[in-house]
Amino acid sequence: MLTHVLERILQALAVMLVMSALVFIGVYAIGNPIDVLIGPDVSQDIRLETIARYGLDKPLWEQYFTFLGRVLHGDFGRSFVFGMPVLELILSRLPATLELTIAAVVGAALIGVPAGIYAGYRPDSALAKTIMAISILGFSVPTFWIGLVLIMTFAVELQILPAGGRGDTAALLGVEWSFLTANGLSHMLLPAANLAFFKLALMTRLARAGTREVMLSDTVKFARAAGLSEWTVLRRHVLRLISIPLVTVFGLEFASTLAFAVVTETIFSWPGIGKLIIDSIQSLDRPVMVAYLMLVAFVFIMINFLVDLAYFALDPRLRKGRG
Amino acid sequence: MTDAALLEVTDLSTHFFTRAGVVKAVDGVSFSLRRGEVMGLVGESGSGKSVTGFSIIGLIDPPGRVAGGSVKLEGRELTGLLQDELRALRGKTVSMVFQDPLMTLNPVLTIGEQIRLALEAHRKITATEARRRAIEGLAQVRIPDPEATVDFYPHQLSGGMRQRVAIAIALLHGPKLIICDEPTTALDVSIQAEILAEMKELVAELGTALIWISHDLATVASIAQHVAVMRLGKIVEEGPMLDVLTRPQHPYTRALLDALPSRTEPGTYLLRGEVPDAAPPPRLTAAKAEPAGDEAAPYFVLDDVSKRFETRTGSLRALAEKLGLAKPAVSVLAVDSVSLTVPRGEALGLVGESGSGKSTLGRMAAGIYAPSAGTVRLSGQPVMSTGETPRKLTTRVQTIFQDPFASLDPRMRIGDSISEGPRAHGLVDRAQTDAYVRDWLGAVGLDPAVAGRYPHQFSGGQRQRVAIARALAMQPDLVICDEPVASLDVSIQAQILNLLMRLRSELGLTLIFISHDLSVVRHLCERVAVMYRGRIVEEGPAAEVYDRPRHDYTKRLLAAVPVLPAAAS
Amino acid sequence: MRKDSPARRFWAEFRESRIAVAALALVVALVGVALLAPLIAPQDPYDLAKLALMDARRPPGFVGSGGYVHWLGTDAQGRDLFSAILYGLRISLQMGLVAGAIAFVVGVGLGISAAYLGGRREAFIMRVIDLQLAFPAILLALVISALLGQGKAQLIAALAAAQYAYFARTAHGAASAERGKDYVEAALSTPLPARQVVWRHILPNCLPPLIVVATVQVANAIALEATLSFLGVGLPVTEPSLGALIANGFQYMLSGRYWISIYPGLALILLIVAINLVGDQIRDQVNPRLKR
Repeated sequence: MLTHVLERILQALAVMLVMSALVFIGVYAIGNPIDVLIGPDVSQDIRLETIARYGLDKPLWEQYFTFLGRVLHGDFGRSFVFGMPVLELILSRLPATLELTIAAVVGAALIGVPAGIYAGYRPDSALAKTIMAISILGFSVPTFWIGLVLIMTFAVELQILPAGGRGDTAALLGVEWSFLTANGLSHMLLPAANLAFFKLALMTRLARAGTREVMLSDTVKFARAAGLSEWTVLRRHVLRLISIPLVTVFGLEFASTLAFAVVTETIFSWPGIGKLIIDSIQSLDRPVMVAYLMLVAFVFIMINFLVDLAYFALDPRLRKGRG
Repeated sequence: MTDAALLEVTDLSTHFFTRAGVVKAVDGVSFSLRRGEVMGLVGESGSGKSVTGFSIIGLIDPPGRVAGGSVKLEGRELTGLLQDELRALRGKTVSMVFQDPLMTLNPVLTIGEQIRLALEAHRKITATEARRRAIEGLAQVRIPDPEATVDFYPHQLSGGMRQRVAIAIALLHGPKLIICDEPTTALDVSIQAEILAEMKELVAELGTALIWISHDLATVASIAQHVAVMRLGKIVEEGPMLDVLTRPQHPYTRALLDALPSRTEPGTYLLRGEVPDAAPPPRLTAAKAEPAGDEAAPYFVLDDVSKRFETRTGSLRALAEKLGLAKPAVSVLAVDSVSLTVPRGEALGLVGESGSGKSTLGRMAAGIYAPSAGTVRLSGQPVMSTGETPRKLTTRVQTIFQDPFASLDPRMRIGDSISEGPRAHGLVDRAQTDAYVRDWLGAVGLDPAVAGRYPHQFSGGQRQRVAIARALAMQPDLVICDEPVASLDVSIQAQILNLLMRLRSELGLTLIFISHDLSVVRHLCERVAVMYRGRIVEEGPAAEVYDRPRHDYTKRLLAAVPVLPAAAS
Repeated sequence: MRKDSPARRFWAEFRESRIAVAALALVVALVGVALLAPLIAPQDPYDLAKLALMDARRPPGFVGSGGYVHWLGTDAQGRDLFSAILYGLRISLQMGLVAGAIAFVVGVGLGISAAYLGGRREAFIMRVIDLQLAFPAILLALVISALLGQGKAQLIAALAAAQYAYFARTAHGAASAERGKDYVEAALSTPLPARQVVWRHILPNCLPPLIVVATVQVANAIALEATLSFLGVGLPVTEPSLGALIANGFQYMLSGRYWISIYPGLALILLIVAINLVGDQIRDQVNPRLKR
C-alpha cells in the first residue's frame, strides 16, 4: 500500500512536470505576447526594454526553466493586465468557484444517483422514462443555453432570484463565502443549478446503465433466490457494485466542472476563476492562463489520486497482491 | 400422487414472449418429489431444465413467465403467489445454487456479510450471532478454517470453495428443497467429485430434497435416485436412476447415452454421431509453397519449452522497483520446461485441469504464443521466428479452437473466413476460390450454398464445422485441437468427433488434441500426456495411462471422473 | 438464401425503437434542410446589402421591408431569423461533422496503431492521450481557439484537437479487447499478414463502440462550437453559427426580445438531442452486457 502511494506520488510529479512544459510551450509559443503589453505606437527602445524585462528575448527553453524555477518558489509571475502576482489573483478568486463547483457536483450526485438507480431498476415505468427524457435533455442542451433560460425564467419573468453576482458573503477561515448567508445562497442557486444540470444528467445515465447491468447479473438472481428483499438487493448489492464506476466519474467530472464554470460564471457574472480565465484569454494574459491551466492539471491529478485511494476502499479485488 | 410428496409439479409451462414469437421453454412438465429425495434433471442446452428450476421458485425474468400449470410445495400452490409471499419461501423453504460461483457471489462483499444478508432476509439477528451462524454454516460445508474465511472476499477463494460458500448460503435456514443448476459444470473434475460426495452426504444428513440439474448424465448418475430426461421443454422419460440409465425406454435417452465416447470402443465412430455421407476433402495438386523440411528429423518437437507471463509494468514502476520502492511484479510460469515429440500421423491427447498449462502449451505448438524458452520445430524447421515480434513461419500447423462463436470473425461471411488464408498464401487463385470453399463446406458436411452466410446464422455444431474447414483449407499436416467439443452438447460432440476422425484418416493428419474430458481423449488418441501445474507428469500409450496410471495425480484424476452404470444388454 | 448481414440485423433492431427512428428522421431532415438552405431561406443572411436596420429586432410575424413575413422575427442586424437559423445550422453541422471526422481519423488511427504496436510505443502513445484527457475538452478548445484566432479552420482545429483523444482511447480499448479474441488469434496463426488482420478483422469489429463515440462527439462538437461562439472566441459575427446567433441575442433577452436567442437555441437543441437519442439507441444495442 505504501509503495503504491509512493509510486503514485512519483507519477504525479512526473505528470505535473510534463504538463507544465506542455502548457508553457503551448501558451507562449503561439502568437506574440508583446503586442498585448505595449501599444503599437511606442518607440522601439521601450519595446526592446519591455521585451527584456519580461525575459521574452531569451530562447523558449530558457524562459521555461526560469519560469519553472520561479514556480517552485510559488511565483507564477505577474498578470500583464492586473499587474498583481498571479498566484494572489487566482487565490482571491478560487473560493467563489470552489463553492459553486462543489455545490453543483454534490447536488448532482445526490439527486442523479438515486434517480438513475430507479430508472435502471424499473426501466419501463413512466417515471423512469421521464427521468431519462430529462437526462437526455441535460446531456444535450449546452450549459450556456440552460443558463439563459434560467435567467429568463427566474430572474426576468418570475423575478424571484437574482440574475448575477455573488450576493452577501461571510468570512470563514479568513475567506469570504456566499453559502453562509441567505442572500448569498439565493445568488448561488441559479448558477449552481446551471452547472449541475449536465452532471446530473451524466450521473443519472451512469447509475441507470450500471443498475440495468447489475440487475441482470447472477449476483442479483442469487440474492433473490436467497430471499433477500428488493430493497436490500438494491441497497447492499447494486449500490455497492455501481459505486466503483460512479466514483471514477464523480472525480473526473469535478475537474471538468471547474472548466465548465467558465461558461456559468460568464453568464451569471460570478466573480470566480472561470470569469478570470475568459477575461485573460481575451486579453492574452499569458501568466494567468499558464497558472490557471496548471491549477486545473494539479486538481485533476489530486482527484485522480483520491479516486485511486477510493478504489482500494471500494473494490477488495484490488487490495490483494499489491503493495 | 402420494400425500408424502414434498413438491408436485403439474403440467407446468413457462413461455418467453419475445419479438420473434413465443418460445415455450417449458411446455407441460409434471413430476413429483418426496421429502429427502434426490432427483436429477438432465437435458441438452435449450431443453428447458434450468427454466424449470427457476419456475419453481418464481424467478423468471421478463419477457418470460409461468404460463400455466401448478407447482405445489407441501401442498401449497406457488404459481399464483405474490412476489413477497414467494420471497418468504425463498432461501427458507426452497433455495438454489447456480452454475458459476464467481458470478453469483458479490465480489465487493465479504463472505460473512453475504451470509448475514441471507440470514437477515428471514429473521432479525445481531451481528455477533450472524457471525457465529456464518462460521457454523461454513464449517458444515467442510470449509477449512471457517473463522478466517468469513472475512474473506470471494476472489480470495478457489472455485470449489466459492461453490461451497454458495451451498452454505443455500443451507442456512434448513430448507426442505435445494435446486442446484449445473453446480459443478464450471469446476474441475476433481473438485466436482468432492462437491458431489459432500452434497450427497449433506442432503442425506439433513433430510433435504434435492433437484440436481445437469447436462452430464454421469454426475447425475452419481448423486440422484430418480432421473427425468428433458427435451424441447418436455420430460421424455422419467424413473429410478438405474432403470433410466441402464434400460432407457425413450429413443432420445438411448441416443444421449450412445453418443457418449465412454460407451464406444476407442477409435471407432460413435454410434449416434451420424457420419454424414460427406464429400471427400478437396486436395490441391499444385506443389505447396513451402519446403517440406528435413524428412529425417523427428516430426513435431516441443523442445524444453517454457512460457512465463509477466504482468505488464510501466517504466516508472520499473524505476520504483530498481530503487526498492516497489516489490517486483509477479510473473506466472504457465508452462515449465516441457519436451514432447509427436511422430507423423499420431494423435496425441493433452489432458489436465484448468490452470495446468495445457492451453498455453497448445498455443505455443500452434505458433500463437512464442515460448519464453525452448523451441517448437516441425520437420526440423522452427514454427515461429525469434526476435522482438515473433511471427509464425509455417502454414503446415493449423488450429481448431474451443468456442466456434469466438474463433470466427462475426463480421465476415464464412466463405471469406475459409478462403482468406489459402488466398493470402497463394494456395488457390481467385478463379478457384469459390469452388474450393464449396468443396470444403461439403467435406465438413455443410450445404455448399451457405458460404455467403455469417457465423450467427449457424448453430454451435455447424460453426465448429466451419472452423474445421477453415483450418483444414490451409492443407496442414498437423492440427492442434484446443477443446474443440467442450462447448457442445453431447449429441453434437459425437458428430464433430466422428467428423474429425474421418478427416484425420482421409488426410493422414497428425493431431494434438487438448481436452479436460478424459473420455474424449481416450476415444480419439493413441497416446496421452497428462499436464499438472505447467509440467507433463505422465505420458504414454492411452490404454496404458488409463488402465495403469503411474503418477499420483493421474490416479486421482481418473478416480474423480464420475462413471455411468454399465448398460444392461 | 436470406440476406442477414450484421448490418441488416442491426438496422432491424434499431427500427424497433420508435423514438430512435424518429430522432434519426429528424437528424436526416435537419441535415437536408441545412444542405438546401440557399433554396429554402427567404433571405441570404450573409449579404449585408440586403439587411436593413429598420427591420432589426422585430418580433415573429413581422412583415419587413423585403415584403415577406419574418416568421421567427429578426435579429439585431435586421436579419430574417428563420434564414439565419438555416444558415447557422449549416455552419454548426459543418463544424461538428468536419471536426468529428478529423478527430475520428486521427484518434482511431492512433488508438489502433497503439494497440497493434504494443510494448513501449503503445505505452507512450496512450500516456500522452491520457495526459490530454486530463484537460477538459472545453478548456482545451477554448485555449487553442483563443491562441489560433477566429476563423473556420482554426475552430475546426481546436475542436478536433479537443476531441481526438476520446476516439483514441475508445479505439485502443476496443482493439486491445479484440486482439485477445480467438478469431484474431486464429487469423494470426494461419498466418495472415498483420496488416490484413488489423484492417479486415480488428477494425470492423471495433466499429460499434466507435460509432457510439462518434455520434456523441459530433453532438459535443456542435455544442462546443456553440459554446465557444457564445464566449466570443468562435466564428466571426459575419457568418454566425447557431451559437453565435444565440450569443448575439443574449443582450436583448433581458429586455424581453426573447426570440433572437431562443429560436436558434431551440434549433440547436433539437439537433443535439436527436443525435444523442440515435447514439443512445446504438449504445444499448452494442452493449453485450444487456443481452441475455
